[in-house]
Amino acid sequence: MTEFQDNIWRELLRNFEGGIENSIEKLKNRDIENIPGAKDALIQRLENIKTYFPRKNGELFKQSIDDKIQNNFFPNTKNFTEAFSQILNSRTHEQDFVINELLNGFVTSKAKAIALGTQGPVIDRMVEAFSKRNDFHIVDYQFYAMFGDPNKPKHYITKQLEELINMFGLISKQLVVEKDIRKSERKIYTFYTFPNDIIKILEKKYLIIDEELGYAYVSDAFDRNVFICMFLANLAIYRDDIEKIGGAYTINGICAIFALILLLSFLPKLSVDESNPILNDPGFDQNRMSVIPKSWMMNQVLESLFEPLIKIVAYRLGGGLWLSKIIDSEVNKKIMTQIRFLLKDVNKWILGNLCRVEIPIFVEIANIFTEVLVGYEEE
Amino acid sequence: MSYKKKSTRTTKAGRKREKWTDILPRYLTFISHMRPILRETRRIIADLDADLLLDTEILDNIRAEEEKRNIRKVRALSEFSAMYRTNVYEIIKDFIVKYRDSIPIIDIKDYIIDFLYESVDALNLLRHITNPDESNLENTYLYVLVKFLEDKLFPRGANLSIIYDKLLKASNEFYECQRHILQSHTYYREKVHNPDLFQIPGISPKVYQIINNITSLFNLDPNFGEYPERESAELPMILKSEVFLPYVDSIANAEEESIDALAERIGLRQLNEIFLAPNHDFVEILINHNFLNEIKQQDGTIRLFPQFSNETLVIYYLAFTSQRRGFLSKELINWISMNFAFLIYMGILKWKLSDENIFYNIFKDLQTNEKVLPYLMKLICFPNYLGLDKMKIRDSIQYRKEIFNFIGSTIDNLKELIEEIAIYSEKFDKERKK
Repeated sequence: MTEFQDNIWRELLRNFEGGIENSIEKLKNRDIENIPGAKDALIQRLENIKTYFPRKNGELFKQSIDDKIQNNFFPNTKNFTEAFSQILNSRTHEQDFVINELLNGFVTSKAKAIALGTQGPVIDRMVEAFSKRNDFHIVDYQFYAMFGDPNKPKHYITKQLEELINMFGLISKQLVVEKDIRKSERKIYTFYTFPNDIIKILEKKYLIIDEELGYAYVSDAFDRNVFICMFLANLAIYRDDIEKIGGAYTINGICAIFALILLLSFLPKLSVDESNPILNDPGFDQNRMSVIPKSWMMNQVLESLFEPLIKIVAYRLGGGLWLSKIIDSEVNKKIMTQIRFLLKDVNKWILGNLCRVEIPIFVEIANIFTEVLVGYEEE
Repeated sequence: MSYKKKSTRTTKAGRKREKWTDILPRYLTFISHMRPILRETRRIIADLDADLLLDTEILDNIRAEEEKRNIRKVRALSEFSAMYRTNVYEIIKDFIVKYRDSIPIIDIKDYIIDFLYESVDALNLLRHITNPDESNLENTYLYVLVKFLEDKLFPRGANLSIIYDKLLKASNEFYECQRHILQSHTYYREKVHNPDLFQIPGISPKVYQIINNITSLFNLDPNFGEYPERESAELPMILKSEVFLPYVDSIANAEEESIDALAERIGLRQLNEIFLAPNHDFVEILINHNFLNEIKQQDGTIRLFPQFSNETLVIYYLAFTSQRRGFLSKELINWISMNFAFLIYMGILKWKLSDENIFYNIFKDLQTNEKVLPYLMKLICFPNYLGLDKMKIRDSIQYRKEIFNFIGSTIDNLKELIEEIAIYSEKFDKERKK
């Protein structure tokens, strides 16, 4: 790390400390908790974060963001196959919600490079097209037929298919038929499939290869999220080409969601009273959910936490380039406000209590925090 | 004198096939063509010496002979039958090639016959899913399965409270399915606010986010104001402007302008033009389910504290939609009936076919689905079943392709519901035979 970079990093850590102090101050002035001890637990946790995070040049941040978040959702590599493989491996039922939200959940996102609008249906059709055949190929005519007359495909479908093929790096083969049955015309059919290294990743769980019959067909697990992972992998490998990945809004969106994940992972778990109605709610599963303090969601608390944290995430993910794209204006406040409402399938409300579903990424990051805390205590 | 024959029909073009007796035969057409092919194949395999199966050319010749016997005059039907028969024989051949070295051929033959028995049985059931004259309705599969699903996903009831209760009861297991049937994949064709004020559209991703925002704001930082219908009581309310504050560049303008319509669908109303608060009827429901907590203040007023769950408002939307099922948008009707048809079809297959049945894929193939499900969708819309406006079911081939391709993006919770349908169907069948 150059001296200049080192200064930026130190400045970011200092701002974060300042932000936490601000949040603690705000917390002390208001109490919206309905669980005894919740506010104190949150203040205690924020104090801990303030003390331990900046230590050893922000080691905790580096481990949580570089090792955990990036490895799960945004691999730091230029190799598409590697990035795709890592994101695909981190898929679970709940983490799929995170992956989806990273791409199309951010309410202000105006980015064009992500799976929005008509690209969604096109992806659904690609899943179906691969499922239909037993050679793990899609054929252009067959694909166009899914939208109407294959001989007169709509312009946007051909364009989007082409874009997706380029983005996913599909490889093509052509079959020339001198006289087709319909009009005895010369026809060129193009077959698309994935390159071998991607097929290797998909094998077993998503793709079943029957060597005896020479068939390759997709399993029930092969769904649109396989493609969504590819979108994300594509964003990850082109992180330096900001225009290609949708501009500043994409960057702000991704950093905001990662900052939210980071904070959620560090929040204290609360013990609720035996008489609390949440324990009888069928939606609450004590083994995989925990109640988190409600006051953490207060705008005043989050605002001062998120601003420096988003910048820290941006710096770790994309260095000075990403940091410079973090919007510092009135829009910023709007972005902060909406972060509170994201990831509602893994950070859900149950009878007025905010509950965190213990998905692997939260557990992994929380473990780092615990380990480091224990380490410091031993020292 | 004109030779042009005058039509005796008084209905508009495109509104011809609306009677039960018009739609049922169309539903049965392709099923009736699939069944004999499978039965005939079963007979041929059963009569064939097991050793002959090892030579796949023999199967090719048999299929070619069978093709010659095709006497159907309707081109679509003969093409479908040829495609279907080819698929059946190809699957049998593949099965033999794959296992001939590891399983004795006599056992392979038995497996094939068993799979064919199961498949014919499934088609038989699909063929007798209901009666041509709708007699003895309560004893038909279609009726009981629609009611079984309706109870969980789209219940009826004398009032909203009853419907809400039923939905909430099923939400523990099937909330994701309940949410799914409101989230039509063709949402981009709809407007939040339709000129026809009564029409209810599905929930678009943006509307879903707005509902989440509202839920969070009620839980986090509600204001309390006078309860118009109840003296000495305070109602929780949130600022409308806060809901839309996060949206940069007015990207939720359409939703903000239609907030009245949107609020009504989630049990809220506008107060003083700046607040959103639960409407009077919804307050009772919320209190009954612990989503509002009545706390007496020092001055004697009762303050209603919100403690919403993620599903509190979404389920109201569904209950409201269910109660006003006569006013749903075209997209939503197509989406709901398609999901019901798909679930029932897949549930029956799950019950009748073993997981390893080699012919499962033929049933799941889109080419088969699009021949069976559109008519099943229409049957499901009749008054005795879901009671939706079946005239809004689209008939264009392109639209069918569009809607059925979304079947590929089914969610895990739907698969769990299909399992439930299979178990329930078996139970019903046993009771029926007693």
